[in-house]
Amino acid sequence: MIAFLLLPALLLLLVVFVGPLFRYAWLSFHADSVVTGLIAIPNGGANWLRLVQDQRFWQDLGQTLRFSGVSVGLELILALMIALLLDQRWRGRDVVRTLTLIPWALPTTVMALGWRWIFNTPYGPIDHFTRMIGIGSLNILGDPHFTWMATVWADVWKTTPFAALILLAGLQTIPVDLYEAVRLEGGNAMVCLRRITLPLLRPYILLALLFRLAQAFGVFDLIQVLTGGGPASSTESVALYAYWNALRFLDFGYSATIIMASFILISLICVVAWILLQIIIPTHSKSQAVVEP
Amino acid sequence: MTLQIQNLGRRVGKQWIVRHLNLQVDNSECVALVGPSGCGKSSTLRLIAGLDSVSEGEIILDQANVTHAPATQRAVGMVFQSYALLPHLSVKANLDLGLRVRGVRASERQQRIQAILDLVQLQDRSEVLPAQLSGGQRQRVALARALLRDPDVYLLDEPMSNLDAQLREELRPELRRLVLDRHKPVIYVTHDQHEAMAIADRIAVLHSGRIQQVATPADLYHRPETLFIAKFIGRPQINCFKPKDGAICAVRPESLFFANEGLPCKLISREWLGSSQLLYLDSPHGSLRLSCSTTMEIPETVHVSWHSSDEHHFDATTGRRLT
Repeated sequence: MIAFLLLPALLLLLVVFVGPLFRYAWLSFHADSVVTGLIAIPNGGANWLRLVQDQRFWQDLGQTLRFSGVSVGLELILALMIALLLDQRWRGRDVVRTLTLIPWALPTTVMALGWRWIFNTPYGPIDHFTRMIGIGSLNILGDPHFTWMATVWADVWKTTPFAALILLAGLQTIPVDLYEAVRLEGGNAMVCLRRITLPLLRPYILLALLFRLAQAFGVFDLIQVLTGGGPASSTESVALYAYWNALRFLDFGYSATIIMASFILISLICVVAWILLQIIIPTHSKSQAVVEP
Repeated sequence: MTLQIQNLGRRVGKQWIVRHLNLQVDNSECVALVGPSGCGKSSTLRLIAGLDSVSEGEIILDQANVTHAPATQRAVGMVFQSYALLPHLSVKANLDLGLRVRGVRASERQQRIQAILDLVQLQDRSEVLPAQLSGGQRQRVALARALLRDPDVYLLDEPMSNLDAQLREELRPELRRLVLDRHKPVIYVTHDQHEAMAIADRIAVLHSGRIQQVATPADLYHRPETLFIAKFIGRPQINCFKPKDGAICAVRPESLFFANEGLPCKLISREWLGSSQLLYLDSPHGSLRLSCSTTMEIPETVHVSWHSSDEHHFDATTGRRLT
């Protein structure tokens, strides 16, 4: 009976997830481009060999990793601070809780267009401000040193509320009397954070981290609208590169290879992130608490 | 070491949660705070612990005024109703946390934890997580944590309400011994008047945020100051007759006896209580509860009487005791 009720969901997964995945895996071992007349012809590991030797792919991969690492790291730290603040009791908290979600509720394209104007040189407010205080024009979207930071900034702005929401939900599962008990033992706020909040929040941090890592690694719309991958492909992500290969160069075989590679990579990254988190915030300290000084 | 509470009050918004609270608890004395839920007994405990802020009055602990001292700086050992053990830490690590925070050396911590685990008989459970312990064991860990704190006052907030009745009865003498051996004042909050009478030297009955009476269990039972206390303390509940001339007369069920002359009553139902039986009777003054020996055969109609010295009289409007 349960299996029967699960059938629609399973079918959906099969059609939109498992199916395309196998199709891409299959396609990555075929030449399928304008050259072949858009007919898939087996070419062994030629696509994968090309990928390994493709400078642009490695450059994009590095840029994507930098983008994901920096923005997810910043987001989690900010989200934890926001969640802790929103978990306290203060006047107007409920209004702020709602307002916090607005960036996340905006469509990425809309907010990316907004940021493009804010960062615009010479008409954007940031450029105006830097000139006013004497730094001069930074040309944020034209200088590769700044452009990637602008993409990180926009991503942090948009997705921090989402991470904060998950962490806030986690905070609310922690019983208040645990904090009270530790306070009565003489523990200050720092002890409470280290000994209660972080360990008990770990599953939620993990959830936010994995969600956000996978999402950031596949970043496409934000970059496409904000910078278009430029200047000089300095903000191009792997997803953007795959998109260009497929829809601009009509090289579906190679595009599938890039997508498969990033699928494998993000899976590995999630496993590594999970293991790292286990090490950073241990759940069971057991006798360790007594042994260490 | 004594704990003194003077005219203590806490207000939230315009409402007083507790007010005009006066209480003194001496060394090795256990005072129970009892009352129905919402009467302010837990709030009182939280004020003493420093978890809530005081609106008026003073708390004096060993001659030091701690009314506005933060919770982290009061030497208070509290056992929570939920036990409040950190779920991700072993029994040992739970006990260790407080000692470490207070800067006790590693070797001494090890020693003290071992000693306290021996005392509460949990030596072999030290590496286990709280979730793997039984309710009674968890309660003992929570108690051990409070004992390790070596506080100036012990505050126990319904420490047994999550345990089953049999376990509660077993743990009661043990709890009393463990805590009172420390020669510190003890405040024990419970909604169970039976538990309060069993464990406390004195009982403070709270009602709507005010202390109605502080007395020994026996005094409370034999000379309740208010009608509320008369009804709250003692099971089966006291019989109250209809108000006459502005006064209510009340008589305990065990003070009633059968007589040849007296109130004519009809037997409605009977409850078997093991060592005694409880009769529900219908009298001209309303329904009565009478507790008597189980060997007694009860006819359908009986005559009930009592000694006038067993009567309690209360003012019908204020509920205060008359004479």
